[in-house]
Amino acid sequence: MQLRRGTPARGTRVLGPAALARTLAVVAAWAMPALAEPPPDAPIANSMFRYFTGSDHIGVRSLMGDYTMPVFQSSALTLHWNNEQVRIPAISAPAGTQEAIDAITTASRPIAGNAFQDFVKVRNEFQGGIHAEHRSVDYYLSTESDYLGQQVTAKVDRDVRDDLLNLAVGTSVGWDAIRPAEDSDTNSDDDKKTTLHCNLVATRIMAPTTVVRAGFEYNIVHGLQHNPYRNVYAGGTNVPERHPDARQRRDLFLKLNQYLSNRSSLKLNYRLYNDDWGITSHEIGSNINQYITQGVFVRWDYRYYTQTSADFYRPEYPTVDGIGGYRTGDYRMGVLSSHLFGAAVNVDLADLITDHDWWRRLGLSVNYERYFNNNNYSANIVETSLDFRF
Amino acid sequence: MSGHRARRTIGSLPLRLAAASCLLALLGLGSGCTSAVRAYQRERLTERIMSFQADAKATARRMKTLESREGSTGGSGGAGGGCACN
Repeated sequence: MQLRRGTPARGTRVLGPAALARTLAVVAAWAMPALAEPPPDAPIANSMFRYFTGSDHIGVRSLMGDYTMPVFQSSALTLHWNNEQVRIPAISAPAGTQEAIDAITTASRPIAGNAFQDFVKVRNEFQGGIHAEHRSVDYYLSTESDYLGQQVTAKVDRDVRDDLLNLAVGTSVGWDAIRPAEDSDTNSDDDKKTTLHCNLVATRIMAPTTVVRAGFEYNIVHGLQHNPYRNVYAGGTNVPERHPDARQRRDLFLKLNQYLSNRSSLKLNYRLYNDDWGITSHEIGSNINQYITQGVFVRWDYRYYTQTSADFYRPEYPTVDGIGGYRTGDYRMGVLSSHLFGAAVNVDLADLITDHDWWRRLGLSVNYERYFNNNNYSANIVETSLDFRF
Repeated sequence: MSGHRARRTIGSLPLRLAAASCLLALLGLGSGCTSAVRAYQRERLTERIMSFQADAKATARRMKTLESREGSTGGSGGAGGGCACN
């Protein structure tokens, strides 16, 4: 079925290359030479292993690397790469049946050939950038068999009021190409998605032990925003999912970092999100960091999240037209609440070992998170990381 | 097929209050209504457990994961990337 596209929201437009260049030039011109946190004076390398597994038996294995190298004029070159293997389980019913549709979660997988086998896709990400003390530019590339994502990001900041206040502004433009794989029951055409993002962030030292950060973010998204492989049961039959092509997303956030007396800190954050699909969400997070000895600290995390549903979300659609022509099988469009608990241990060997120079260059961390929501979904996330300072 | 509504404002009173509070905080941070903290008084703020920057990469990884499970995004002061389709 040929998917029909809606018109962009009035007053919004997709940023072209010329407009992007103008935007970046304005942002760069606003920057001024630096006073704040300088780039490192020696290279730093980091490697990370991450494994995500959900109650729907989707597994994501990530191998990441980061390298930061000082370059000319107090700047640093940053490189990041990530190899991910996503394993989506076999469906448990014949393709095209309602049972098979229910077996597909938010993960993208086609139903073609032997759908009774696990589907494995590989994603490779690369990000490179130049970071000076008060400005940065990054390029991001993500590629997989049916998706190519690219993004350019620029950010500048400046310290004012005796360095008590830092103001930052950032923008990014993303353009994605989607080439759905062969699928027995949807047959979606190639498509694209563009994202324009901007943010304004203020960070203020309130007291010798208190820092506060507040920010506003705004996103305009155009293009394919539903799962090209997913069908929706509507009007007594299966029809391809269809979301609006335009979406305006905005959020406000507040963060507070408070140092406590016994070498510990409390971090609190709140986010209010709203978009023109009708979703409004609240997120409250907290974590406590505690040094248990010199160079070793532990962290405890908790996050609560709740959201309203999109205007066009319904558990069932009486007609194939859905609501206003849109229909979704994505539970993320419905009412949702979730909890996340986490714990981490961070070790800096430079503070623990005094006489072996090589070992003193190492840092280690282990992180575990447990996530669950009211849609009977839960997930475990494990991260282990190793830093090396040259 | 009817077009989708292009703009939606934050409607209910509690949401407006929450949005107004966040905006006031954003504006208030730029005002001179707090006392000065001298450079020599900022030793605690340089510790890793007080840093926003030290959390940035972990926050970005978590946001990307949760984007694929929930209907919203943001809160990190930066843009995400990729398909977020895990």
